[in-house]
Amino acid sequence: MQEMLQYLFSGITNGAIYAVIAIGFSMLYNSTDLINFAHGEFVMLGALCMVTFFGTLHLPIVLAILLAIASVAVAGLVFERLAIRSVKNPEPIVLIIITVGASIFLRGIGMILWGKDAHTIASFSSHPPLDIAGAKLLSQSIWIIVILLLTAVGLQLFYKKTLTGKAMEANAISKRAAWIVGIPSKLMIMLAFGLSTAMGGLAGVIIAPITMSSYDMGTMLGLKGFCAAMLGGLGSLWGALIGGFLLGILEAMGVGFVSSGLKDATAFLLLLFILYVKPGGIISSASVKRF
Amino acid sequence: MNNHQTRNRICYTVFLLIILLVGYFLENLYYIQVLTFIGINTLLALALNMLMGYAGQISLGHAAFYGIGAYGTAILTVHYGFSPWLALPAAILSAMIVAYIVGIPTLKLSGYYLGMGTLGFGMIVNILFREWSSVTGGASGFIGIPALELGPISFASGRNYFFLVWGFVLIGFIACQRIIDSRIGRALRAIHDGENAAAAVGVDTRQLKLQIFVLSAAISALAGFLYAHLVYFISPGSFSFIASIRMVTMVVIGGMASIWGALLGASLLTLLPEWLHAFSEFEMVVYGLILMVVMIFLPRGLTRGLLDIYERTRKKNEH
Amino acid sequence: MSTELPLLKIETVDKAFGGIQALSDITFALNPGSITGLIGPNGAGKTTLFNLISGVFPADKGEIIFNGAGIENIKSHQLVELGIARTFQNVELFESMTVLENILVGQHTRTRCGIWGSILRFPGVIAEEKKAREFALELLDFVGLKGHADKTSGDLPFGWQRLLEIARALASRPKLLLLDEPAAGLNIVETMQLGDLIRKIRNQGITVLLVEHDMSLTMEISDWIVVLDQGKKIAQGSPRTVQADEAVIAAYLGTAGKKE
Ligand SMILES: Nc1ncnc2c1ncn2[C@@H]1O[C@H](COP(=O)(O)OP(=O)(O)O)[C@@H](O)[C@H]1O
Ligand SMILES: [Mg+2]
Repeated sequence: MQEMLQYLFSGITNGAIYAVIAIGFSMLYNSTDLINFAHGEFVMLGALCMVTFFGTLHLPIVLAILLAIASVAVAGLVFERLAIRSVKNPEPIVLIIITVGASIFLRGIGMILWGKDAHTIASFSSHPPLDIAGAKLLSQSIWIIVILLLTAVGLQLFYKKTLTGKAMEANAISKRAAWIVGIPSKLMIMLAFGLSTAMGGLAGVIIAPITMSSYDMGTMLGLKGFCAAMLGGLGSLWGALIGGFLLGILEAMGVGFVSSGLKDATAFLLLLFILYVKPGGIISSASVKRF
Repeated sequence: MNNHQTRNRICYTVFLLIILLVGYFLENLYYIQVLTFIGINTLLALALNMLMGYAGQISLGHAAFYGIGAYGTAILTVHYGFSPWLALPAAILSAMIVAYIVGIPTLKLSGYYLGMGTLGFGMIVNILFREWSSVTGGASGFIGIPALELGPISFASGRNYFFLVWGFVLIGFIACQRIIDSRIGRALRAIHDGENAAAAVGVDTRQLKLQIFVLSAAISALAGFLYAHLVYFISPGSFSFIASIRMVTMVVIGGMASIWGALLGASLLTLLPEWLHAFSEFEMVVYGLILMVVMIFLPRGLTRGLLDIYERTRKKNEH
Repeated sequence: MSTELPLLKIETVDKAFGGIQALSDITFALNPGSITGLIGPNGAGKTTLFNLISGVFPADKGEIIFNGAGIENIKSHQLVELGIARTFQNVELFESMTVLENILVGQHTRTRCGIWGSILRFPGVIAEEKKAREFALELLDFVGLKGHADKTSGDLPFGWQRLLEIARALASRPKLLLLDEPAAGLNIVETMQLGDLIRKIRNQGITVLLVEHDMSLTMEISDWIVVLDQGKKIAQGSPRTVQADEAVIAAYLGTAGKKE
């Protein structure tokens, strides 16, 4: 029971991180119909920036977080401007190869800047773990979940209440219609890239204290985030949350009751299963809403 | 067409001559070794090019089949005492069966989903290599793969292995060229040009894609077999995501839908690390840049792209 | 009408896309060896009906009977084998391939060579390939594209692309040929030649279902006309009766329910 609870906690923590990554995938997909195979590498950049700003430079925590997210978003914007926008025939196969190229490139940059070693940093706060029925809930886990929920609510408000958010949503629903009413679609795509990669950066920032951050952490996280997004239905904010938690918990149970080596395989088997059987996500496709 | 056939015949004869000349007269055994690696990579690029270049289906997990070929022969020869020459068809067959089973659901996907599906598949197989240590040796790898010999001929010497590998490359080239020029190849190119129209003229697109996927897996497994018996030691790292990406890069550089492009792509990507000092640090940055730049500026690959540019300037000059 | 068994029977067929009822309750039949014109304003559902007959998607309701058998669950490529061939409203050639290769792909269901056959080049494969090429050249001659076999199909002038697409469809030796607006984008001379070609095709015993906006062409070569409007069949009959039909005139003039 206690063990089970422990797995559940770790599942929820990981799930929250997958959810943040999944939100990034979904946001970009909504605005551009594009799936960014380099998304995981932006998570890696976020984590490693955090290592530098918080771990090495000892900046104040809030400043470090904001700087890390901003750096990643800038990298995302540069990527959009230099690579994506230059593509003359945006077929999926071309964009896949370009974003895969970007992912390898960023990995290489990560390795050159931060080396091959894994890095750790301290938690956001130094509270001792909570003890719930014998299982321990780390303070960082609470931070992660709180940040996820705040982000989700914030995004919901952004899309529903602000003019920019509404414009993005309109653009996602119909580019032509949005263009006709004067919403510049280029700007919207840039904004979507910026926001989506910022989400990636955020995921990296919150995961840094509970993992070993290294240049090659991105691919795995990216794939799992994508898996979560697919589980909940690609393009849906709440779906991303549900998919993230579901994947996190399933995976944790996989470690608990099967073997730790199979942990990563769980996510991919689940991904293949979803792709093959129910590409609309497990929430019935009718109820899947865009942001 | 007859023109085309005679030209091909000349090309392949010249190719054979070059192989023979290089094999006999190149003194430096280190170069022979490098060329052998180029041959193995050429097979990989050829395999993936049949799928990506001709059938238009991306795979980001093709290293899985390369690995199944390598681990297949390693397991059969070391654990079960198979002769490598028996392990070869067995390993290839395993890869084909896996490709068939995985291909049925995967090839229903298209675009990004196909990319993610194949990527996930490659990851799962790699995890299997890493975690199933009682059979594969796990992360530390598989040692003691026997050298190849055929009667009195030993392939332990670099020169014989060179001939073996390039012999397979030549056969692979001719076989693939013949497929491309046949009814099957035309149907493949038709799928690439327009899947709906292909179905409307009677091409069973689903089955054809599956067949090419299986063929491509078989050639990759052959490359894996050759790799395993060349280096005697294999580990999961050689068949990881990066290995799959290296294959894609070879195809992209060499040019999609180009048999000789496979040779070019494989040569460049094998030699690049040799040429660039301290390449390993920059390997990924260079691959990433290559992929992005080639796809942005020359989406038809280097060979085609440069040819296009050449023709465009020539036309301009004629005017 | 004649007592012959129809080659194709459409019976009470419905098809909707989301909220749009593209076809409702369509019933008609094609006599073997006839040319039937299927006309109607844009959006009437003509292309949708073609897609149903050629197996692109299934009907919501009703039956399509070809040569005496229902074809609801048969896939596109199998229908070609059974004898249904089509062209597309927006020409869909294999643009990177040559004219000859396009027609060779058209013979896909009439040839057998597989992967092994192509690698090993059995004598049978070579003979088959030779025959296929000969037939392809004959077809090129038949549609009037003799001498252009080795051009890249995407580089052909538009009118020739239409002809090539017809040749590609004929390459599967169909019993039924569906032509979707074959005269669109052609000039007057080309349109006249197209009319002759369609007659020639019919004279070979191939049944033709023709969607066409060029009324003089359709009325001239068709034996029978079916008129669709907003997904419904509003008239059918010989060209002469249809031309005089009030509902048809109303549909074309856009004045639904025209009063005297
Ligand atoms: N694949 C499709 N998805 C959604 N709607 C479609 C599709 N195909 C046709 N339609 C709709 O069905 C109606 C009939 O279209 P179509 O058959 O193309 O007409 P026609 O060929 O007579 O001009 C139109 O309203 C069109 O928008
Ligand atoms: Mg139409």
